[in-house]
Amino acid sequence: MAKESFDKEIQFLRLLALTGGGYDRQQFAGRLGISVHTFDKTVRKLREISGDADFADLFRYGYADSAEPVLLFLYRAKSMKESESRRLPLILTALKGTPQTAAELLDACCERLPLDAAMPDEKTIRSDLRYLEEIGVVRRETGGRPYRYVLNNDLTDCLSQKELIDLYEFVDVMANTQIPSVQGYLLRENLKKALKSAVPEEEWDDGLLEPFSYKYHYDARILDEAHLYTLLRMIHLRKRISFQYFSPKNRKSYSAKETNPLFGRETEVRRENTLPLKVVYDHQYGRWYLIGAAAKGRFVKFRMEGMIDIAEEQEAPDEYFALKKKQLDEQMRHSWLIDTGETVTVRAKFYRPRGQADFIAERVRLQGQWGEIVEENEDFFIYEIQVNGVTEIRPWLRGFGSSCEVLAPADLRQSFIDEWKEIGDYYE
Amino acid sequence: MNNPFEKIFNYQLSSRLEETGVYTLTSQERSWLKSMLEHPAAREALEPRTIAKLQECVLDDEISNLLDGLEQKAGSLETQIVHPLLSPIRRILRNRQGMTIQCRTKKGKLNEPQPGIPYKLEYSMVKREWYLHWYNSSTRSILHTRLCHIVSVEQSRVSRTSYEEQTVRAQKLFEAPRHEAVVEVIRTFNAELTRILHAFSCFDKRVEFDEEERTYRIHLTFTDSEGQFVLTKLRFLGKRVRVVEGNYLKYRMRETARKALALYGADAIETSDSDQSKAAEGSAEVQKADQSSSSKLPSAIIVRTKIPG
Repeated sequence: MAKESFDKEIQFLRLLALTGGGYDRQQFAGRLGISVHTFDKTVRKLREISGDADFADLFRYGYADSAEPVLLFLYRAKSMKESESRRLPLILTALKGTPQTAAELLDACCERLPLDAAMPDEKTIRSDLRYLEEIGVVRRETGGRPYRYVLNNDLTDCLSQKELIDLYEFVDVMANTQIPSVQGYLLRENLKKALKSAVPEEEWDDGLLEPFSYKYHYDARILDEAHLYTLLRMIHLRKRISFQYFSPKNRKSYSAKETNPLFGRETEVRRENTLPLKVVYDHQYGRWYLIGAAAKGRFVKFRMEGMIDIAEEQEAPDEYFALKKKQLDEQMRHSWLIDTGETVTVRAKFYRPRGQADFIAERVRLQGQWGEIVEENEDFFIYEIQVNGVTEIRPWLRGFGSSCEVLAPADLRQSFIDEWKEIGDYYE
Repeated sequence: MNNPFEKIFNYQLSSRLEETGVYTLTSQERSWLKSMLEHPAAREALEPRTIAKLQECVLDDEISNLLDGLEQKAGSLETQIVHPLLSPIRRILRNRQGMTIQCRTKKGKLNEPQPGIPYKLEYSMVKREWYLHWYNSSTRSILHTRLCHIVSVEQSRVSRTSYEEQTVRAQKLFEAPRHEAVVEVIRTFNAELTRILHAFSCFDKRVEFDEEERTYRIHLTFTDSEGQFVLTKLRFLGKRVRVVEGNYLKYRMRETARKALALYGADAIETSDSDQSKAAEGSAEVQKADQSSSSKLPSAIIVRTKIPG
């Protein structure tokens, strides 16, 4: 059976998050490069997973103030047989607190499954236990055969109520402020349940579940974590990869497999082949990049959101990988983001605000990466940075508006003059 | 192995488990926690005893060295992820009590202690800093104070009725009026649409596409306090976008351009046709593969012009 892929779902959710649900079905389908029928099917599936009646509501009014990761439900999409989704809860419930053997679990299942359900055999139960043990959900007790298993919830069981609340708040903060965050968000969901069972009903307060809020979040960032571990694993194993790539400049972000006759001919997307070296997360836009070495050793950069259908290829020799990695690290030392071009010195004069706290200096200190303040007085300071190309740093400098004057290089200074003129003209 | 699409996370399974009150913890969640426990923030947030217990439980779970392949760029300095005042303020919030709070002003002046009710703790991903939103009981106003400006905060008893009255009042004040603005993507930059949308993705927004004019318009909704950050984003994107509705933002952008040009003084008067900023910005040229032109649009697209609310 082909490996389940969620590319279509991810692309749709990204579009939804970026546009705030402003497109209609046809516009969505058009941009995803799929038929309206396929689009409807995708939405139906996602709706079932999220349990949400209306998708547009996800990104409506005020969602940005919540600490709930609205897109997390994507990671609940892995399919499961109906019989399995009935059997596993019975096994897990039985394993809570009391260690059980496979035979005992079989009895428990048969007793509690509805009469018309297909009854499992001991082999099925053993394979369930193997799976649960492998993912760390249950633990085999020490001792000989027959083996006994128990639910491994030590992490929460060993904590007092106060400690559990502290842990929940810590996980909430870390999942929301650090990357990667998907596992943290999943843990947060489970800790919610732990809290609900630990706190007596009369003391319960819904405020426990949303202790903090987070402002200016890039929600769509967690969608790229779907491919993150695949890519990181390939980097770790020094394996080349091949994949379909949709450039961000390409209007369509997903193209249906050739099994769909509607799109068979239209979508002859070339497969890219590269040796992945590094994944980069860009805090400025909340986007992810993969940087790799192409066939002739040239560095190539891909936006992770445009990569689908990633396949493992042959292994690269140790020395070659190490060499490319070293070269890349060296070249990226001065990348504001990922530019590996020529290094230039950018000098800019920042004017301090009059009569108020110096939020300009504070922002430069916070966001100015490795740049330094080389000269200062009470009216202004001069910031200097060695950076690869001016393209990536330009938006940041421009963000300071009239508090920042570019001094060098001369062509950057001139382009700022030209651009401010053009912007001024927009509002004449 | 880290597979975020694990079967155990399946939605049917988790909703059935929900009914039983049983939950499961996988080793990938524990190993995530294990790496977070190594972060200095852990020592701020958790008691040493709790950390020791947790570490005991995650002993067998491997910290994935896969993360060595991941690098973060252009982020703010992480000055503080967990502030020591979070926990005492959370306790006051949970107890539904009042507080006596003493703060410094932005310029460093020490204010007299004030009575108040804490309302919400908020972290700004941009400033990488914690804020307390609170209600000042003596001036009956609301305040947003950076935790680093709070000198001391202590719980003070208020009656349940008084607490509730004040919370209702605070809530009304916190429901700040929201502004709407419409930002248009200048058509020649349509190819950069995804970047532009990413830049606005941390706001409440809705995107509308005008088929006839091939123009994207972003409808933004924001409060007064968010207005400054909207402005920063507009300047950040420069000539790629133009405010078409929203007089205040238009005015501010006009002023910015005027003042910026004044900075450049004489240089600004010489006009130049050079335009180096045409290249895609924000990231170095990303791989080719631009087969379909962004100007070709499917005929089925429907024009939407309605603005909600």
